[in-house]
Amino acid sequence: MSTSIIRTIKNIYSSGLKRAAWQIAFLNDTKRGKLVGTDDWGNKYYETDVPEEIHLRTRWVEYNANFLGIDISNVEPGWHYWLGYGTNTPPHKLPEDQKSVRAYPLPEKHKANLTATRGAYVPYNTAKPKFESWEPVVSERL
Amino acid sequence: MFKLNHRILNVGKRANLGITYSLNNNNVLISSLSQQNSLSLISQRNISSKDLTPKSMPTDFPLMSQKTANSPLDYALTSLDTIANWARKSSFWPVTFGLACCAVEMMHVSAPRYDQDRLGIIFRASPRQSDIMIVAGTVTNKMAPALRQVYDQMPEPRWVISMGSCANGGGYYHYSYSVVRGCDRIVPVDVYVPGCPPTAEALMYGVFQLQKKMMKSSITRLWYRS
Repeated sequence: MSTSIIRTIKNIYSSGLKRAAWQIAFLNDTKRGKLVGTDDWGNKYYETDVPEEIHLRTRWVEYNANFLGIDISNVEPGWHYWLGYGTNTPPHKLPEDQKSVRAYPLPEKHKANLTATRGAYVPYNTAKPKFESWEPVVSERL
Repeated sequence: MFKLNHRILNVGKRANLGITYSLNNNNVLISSLSQQNSLSLISQRNISSKDLTPKSMPTDFPLMSQKTANSPLDYALTSLDTIANWARKSSFWPVTFGLACCAVEMMHVSAPRYDQDRLGIIFRASPRQSDIMIVAGTVTNKMAPALRQVYDQMPEPRWVISMGSCANGGGYYHYSYSVVRGCDRIVPVDVYVPGCPPTAEALMYGVFQLQKKMMKSSITRLWYRS
């Protein structure tokens, strides 16, 4: 975060006090930029080209979640790729011929990580065990 | 008391009983001494006064996470817990246990691109000043006692992040003669970060998962409701 007071004042002036306070709480920073798109969870993606922003800090997401619910797995994979500067084309602006075709249908809303909740994935084994426990049976002495 | 024990020992010898037995069951012996019957000693030895094997145990009680706050004290303690948990997760001081290439990714988290300092994460060189241990890399048999010792030196409450395949379960060296097959054989692990090595981003996500876990712990509520 480039900590210039002039930049911060500019950003607060641009965003307004309420949104700037929200940004400080969620992003630890104030930002200004243009809205690029919104994903299926309602998270908003922004990009900026203001000269004060440093390298690789020009794209960010503002989550549609409460303070404890923010999680990078809420971000759709295509948007995550865009956020990490893998591509300059956001997923909703991809031409039809570049969109990947799935053999199986994707869910309407992508699934977030459910670890440490009731929906967490629990692994189980379907293979027959290769060895069994010993059952002690005393044979009759003659 | 010593004299009494001495007498009991003598009685035990007379009854051809082991010494270790008479030391454990003073009360039983004293009551049977009054009867002056060595046979009752033997019979009482193997019979418990109550049935120790429970026939059925309650299984439908609510879990701690299923209980809801319904009194003013509940709400007050919930807020206290939240404050304490927030303070703990916001000053996230790990002891660096860098063992292999995972440690390089851990250094990336502290470097400017991921910039852990903005999250209140400060690496400490001493386990006595840290809350979290990040086990980054292959734990060898030779390193295992040192790992456990460092863990034991950390003050409570403490958490462990296992980083990378090798720390999770041995990884590439699972079948080696000299490698521990997962650091959870030595220390209790809170978060497993998969990858070989995990990216700095993945480790950071593991840190966020652990912070979520920390926020869920109910410190005073456990004491009050149980």
